Amino acid sequence: MSASQFETLQHTNSHSPPRRLTDGQFALLLLLPGGALLLGVVLYPLVAALVTAFFEQSLVVPGRTFVGLANIVDVLTGDFPRLLGQTLVFTVGTTVFPFVIGFALALALNTRIRGAKVLRGLMLIPWLVPGVVVSFLWMWIFNANYGVLNALLETLGLIDGPVAWLAQPGTAMTAVVVAKTWQSFPWMMVMLLAGLQTVPRELHEAAEMDGAGTVRRFFSITLPQVKGIVGLVLLLELIWNFQHFDIIYVLTGGGPAGATQTFATAVYETAFHGFDLGRAGALGLLWMVLLMGLVVVYIRFSEKGEGK
Amino acid sequence: MPAYPALDTTTLSRRRLLQLLGLGAGTLTLAACVPEAGPAAPQAASTAAAGARTDFSFASWSLTEETAAPAIRELLGQYADANDVKVREVSYPYNEYISQLTLQVKGGQVTGAVHVDVAWLGSLAALGKLQDLGPLAQGADYTQAGLTAAQFDGVQYGLPWNIGAIGLIANSGLLEQAGIGEAPATIDEFEAALKDLKKLGGGVVPYAASTKAAQLKDVLIWMETFGSPLLDGGKVTIGDDASVEAVTWYKSLYDQGLIAADVDRFDARSLFAQGRAAIYDDAIVGRDAVVSDSPDKKLADKLTAWSRPVLAAGDTPRALVWGGALAVVQGDGAETAADFAKWMTSDVEVAKQYFAARGLPPATESALALPEVADDAFGAQFAERITATATTNPFWVYPQYAQIETVIAEQVQAVLVGSAEPKAAMEKAGAAAQKLVD
Repeated sequence: MSASQFETLQHTNSHSPPRRLTDGQFALLLLLPGGALLLGVVLYPLVAALVTAFFEQSLVVPGRTFVGLANIVDVLTGDFPRLLGQTLVFTVGTTVFPFVIGFALALALNTRIRGAKVLRGLMLIPWLVPGVVVSFLWMWIFNANYGVLNALLETLGLIDGPVAWLAQPGTAMTAVVVAKTWQSFPWMMVMLLAGLQTVPRELHEAAEMDGAGTVRRFFSITLPQVKGIVGLVLLLELIWNFQHFDIIYVLTGGGPAGATQTFATAVYETAFHGFDLGRAGALGLLWMVLLMGLVVVYIRFSEKGEGK
Repeated sequence: MPAYPALDTTTLSRRRLLQLLGLGAGTLTLAACVPEAGPAAPQAASTAAAGARTDFSFASWSLTEETAAPAIRELLGQYADANDVKVREVSYPYNEYISQLTLQVKGGQVTGAVHVDVAWLGSLAALGKLQDLGPLAQGADYTQAGLTAAQFDGVQYGLPWNIGAIGLIANSGLLEQAGIGEAPATIDEFEAALKDLKKLGGGVVPYAASTKAAQLKDVLIWMETFGSPLLDGGKVTIGDDASVEAVTWYKSLYDQGLIAADVDRFDARSLFAQGRAAIYDDAIVGRDAVVSDSPDKKLADKLTAWSRPVLAAGDTPRALVWGGALAVVQGDGAETAADFAKWMTSDVEVAKQYFAARGLPPATESALALPEVADDAFGAQFAERITATATTNPFWVYPQYAQIETVIAEQVQAVLVGSAEPKAAMEKAGAAAQKLVD
């Protein structure tokens, strides 16, 4: 097209100029479907749930009364310290133990042992099993009256009578942590193994030639090389475990006498068994604030990693 | 090559985006603060079956139970075929049922016929979506006790299906082995019998009483046995001497190993079926489950119903009314669901078939007069020794009944596991229940 033709075309169209979107408008248009979905499916339910924290509201009695901060104060001066403590015990326990087991297995599988690939596949099985199934499996193991563990310990003569693992405050949390550890360690193992495989073998060979032993090489080469992935998996596990629900709920329902109750199960129990939406909203609000702290740490950590 | 203009990145600034997000959040907050509408008066079910039959939903916890589901599905199939409709099944396990049903009914996801424990009628009626089945109940010969049990606040929200009570069921084989001839009449005799059963050894649980929070409501009947009214003119009496004494006694049974940890109704049935529990609490509905799950083919003949022991000789034994009713939730398919509910609960042939499959006592006079029902020895014994003196739980009249039960159960469990003293725990439970009642 010649320049004159182009001008003519521009002149012809001057009476009805094409509607042009600015880049901002175009960006908004692209954001619209996702944004609408986010508003409808995530933000609205979230805000609606959090707003109930400021009302006295029951699931079965229609209507609600604005009570300001009363629900939040009630939670903070009531169950909050106990729930926070138990949630932290569960979160730290189910992060540290799978990490130790997963790291040890990853180190083992990173060596040239025979059948490493088969072992790696087998180890993944617990992670592939749905949480509810894992819970029923461990419920059967820990059951006081027909559990496998009691039968085994009685056969070995280690206990005289059945132990109510899930019905005693002292053992119930341990049982829950064991079940979650069994489910979580494969993921840790896979992630850490991936990290370990990025460590150049030459570094180990050079250090070995310089006389460094296994322990020295682990602390001076392996650990510094994988500390990024270690930090990432630990943070992600902390965040996930802080909000974990299914294994605790199915295994103990938060009992006995609330001994394994965490924020996740407490919100569910309060809302759907206690039908107290106001109190559940207050618990959820406080839980979310704490969780946001962890998420901020994760984002900072990720940004730091990207910066490098 | 033409020079393309640089992308305009300033049109949608971060500030603008935040403003938009703020606006959206504000709108959401306002929307979330919109007050809820109050309940509507119950809509009466139509007695005229003139309209064309439509598909409907049927919700029942029994559909999750291996022993109950086939018999119910058979009847659902018969109704569906006869009326050329489809019945959508909705089911949750008993312990989760009321929570899930409440959510589904409130959210409008479940309409049609729903199987309810009569204890829940108050909570479900408060949602304002149950139909008044009073007009539908007319013309059927439901027993007066059944009709009363399926009412709330004078409205017939349910059609009685199987109304009875929860009481003590014992294995006469194990009782015989322990040298227990007659049913103990008092608490002291009962405890002595449990100690005799404990001596049998072999891991036998003398009394598979509920110790898991989900079914710890069973302790309320023991509180009444010890003399606590639970509720006295709107005042919750849990925390009084009788309730504390009852929980202290329950705890002593737990500490002596006369009742076991980690047991709810379903664990108790399982232990009883295996011959590993001598006594447990259940309604007659449990017979079907324990007998069919038992390796002991003669267990059905060994079942014996016990009146609950009393504190002092001469007291009236306590038992708790328990029963299933069918209610109808307004909405799609409600008219056909109402017709189905009436057919399921009052048709004599259906009652005959269901009794043959599950041994549950029907709720109409004509079905109760059926020879097979009248000749059921255990059923008659259960009715005479347990159902005859059964009373309703005074908390059932409150929509917050489930909450009340939960706060009490939590405190009783705290006592059992040694986290709290009976007196302090029951006072705490009473105060929490009072708050809900008020």
